[in-house]
Amino acid sequence: MNAPSTIHKASVQFSPGEARIRVQNLGKRYGTLEVFRDVTFDVGAREIVAVVGPSGCGKTTLLRCIDGLISVDNGEIWVDHTRVTGPTPGMAMVFQHFGLFPWKTVADNVAYGLRMAGTPKAEIAKRVPDFIKLVGLAGFEKAYPYQMSGGMQQRCGLARALAVEPNVLLMDEPFAAVDAQTREILQFELLRIWQQRPTAMIFVTHSIEEAVLLGHRVVVLKGRPSSIYETIAIDLPGQRTRETLREPRFAELRERVWSTLMSEARAAEFVLENQN
Amino acid sequence: MIKAWLGQRTPVVVSLLVGIALWEIAGRLSSPAFMVPFSVTIERLWTMTAEGGLAAQFLDSIELFAAGFAISLAVGLPLGLLLARVKALRIGIEPYIMVVYATPMVALIPFILSLMGFGFAPKVLVVFLFAVFPIIYNTVEGARSIKPELIEVAQSFRSTEWALWREVMLPYTLPYTMTGVRQAIGRALVGMVAAEFFLSATGLGRIIMTSSQNFDTAGVFASILLIGILGVALMRLGAMIEQHFARWRQ
Repeated sequence: MNAPSTIHKASVQFSPGEARIRVQNLGKRYGTLEVFRDVTFDVGAREIVAVVGPSGCGKTTLLRCIDGLISVDNGEIWVDHTRVTGPTPGMAMVFQHFGLFPWKTVADNVAYGLRMAGTPKAEIAKRVPDFIKLVGLAGFEKAYPYQMSGGMQQRCGLARALAVEPNVLLMDEPFAAVDAQTREILQFELLRIWQQRPTAMIFVTHSIEEAVLLGHRVVVLKGRPSSIYETIAIDLPGQRTRETLREPRFAELRERVWSTLMSEARAAEFVLENQN
Repeated sequence: MIKAWLGQRTPVVVSLLVGIALWEIAGRLSSPAFMVPFSVTIERLWTMTAEGGLAAQFLDSIELFAAGFAISLAVGLPLGLLLARVKALRIGIEPYIMVVYATPMVALIPFILSLMGFGFAPKVLVVFLFAVFPIIYNTVEGARSIKPELIEVAQSFRSTEWALWREVMLPYTLPYTMTGVRQAIGRALVGMVAAEFFLSATGLGRIIMTSSQNFDTAGVFASILLIGILGVALMRLGAMIEQHFARWRQ
């Protein structure tokens, strides 16, 4: 932002960094129901990949596989040079249902991941306030989840994930359960935080606009079983702000993702889902 | 504030006063071999305390109650969590728990007597058997209602099994366990008196028995009143603890 104006535009262009997450030929089935097959994509060390697809296409299942919460039937997931076989250090997930522990205060919820990672107490006490501040919850350290709005609860969920300083963030429709205005605020908050501490991020959503606004690439899952139908590069220049939403290129890309999703039989159903 | 408190308490106070008055009248109208009035009961309670025997017997009963109850909690809570977490164990053991829970415990006392004799331990066992099942039952029900999402969060943050119990299952389940504790307090009191009746006679149970054998109706009433007050006090305490652990539930 304070970069000297002499810097050529190309040099501030987005660079995803080397691949941090590699998903190779991933397949998952529940009994006879095949959820997805042959899913292959990479995520750079400083890249946000948004995953969109109709409800029931296995977006969330895919994310839970990558987090190591459930096993896969085919293929491999690699994070850096480690093959994922279970929950792996360096990854953190933000959940659609927030997943806060209702008996813990904001501060204790944020400290949770650090405690599980065996971080020394003094270190936790030092770090927790920083992350509470980072997500804009300063002053609410002692509040319980039930005393907060959905948006604030998800800020807390985000702080808990960020506090372990992951180099991979997995976002499972994190803003789907909050109201429209809060959702927009949180999207830009997330972008601001990501600018401060860029990580590899997989962002699952079924909002096309959200996917285009946040993602450097949008992966479209489709079909039954689903697989990657198309990957669309989101070549919006510079930092994304509210202005971005009004850029013609943003509208083009949104239409592009939209029509990619629409070009199949389940289109009608998807239209219905996207109205809410 | 005092006014508000009085306003809230008035029905209770009035109801108690009416109850005491009815007791007094009924006691005065009936034969002292059958029932004594409230005033005589209180008087007897006072003389028994003054004579010095009551305090010792009371402490004796409390000791029995506390020992049996502590073991119930120490066994019931972890066992309940274990049964909730390990499905096969739960399915295997549940029928036994249901059978023993449904069996009137008093029926087991002769068996315990022949097995363990007249010492302190068999009496503690009786209190334990009376109290442990509501604790197990409520703990299992509570722990089973944990949202799977929260367990998934714990797994995602690479919780160990022990940390999962300590950080998630225990705090979630405690309010449910405390509901069981409240029920268990009442049952443990019954167990306490039953053990004092049917095994070696000690404590308040012994006072009731000897008073009854000596046609000392006032002594019987005084002991029963004391047990009743003890029970109410303990249950209030249980409710307060329950409230404390349930703060986070709106």
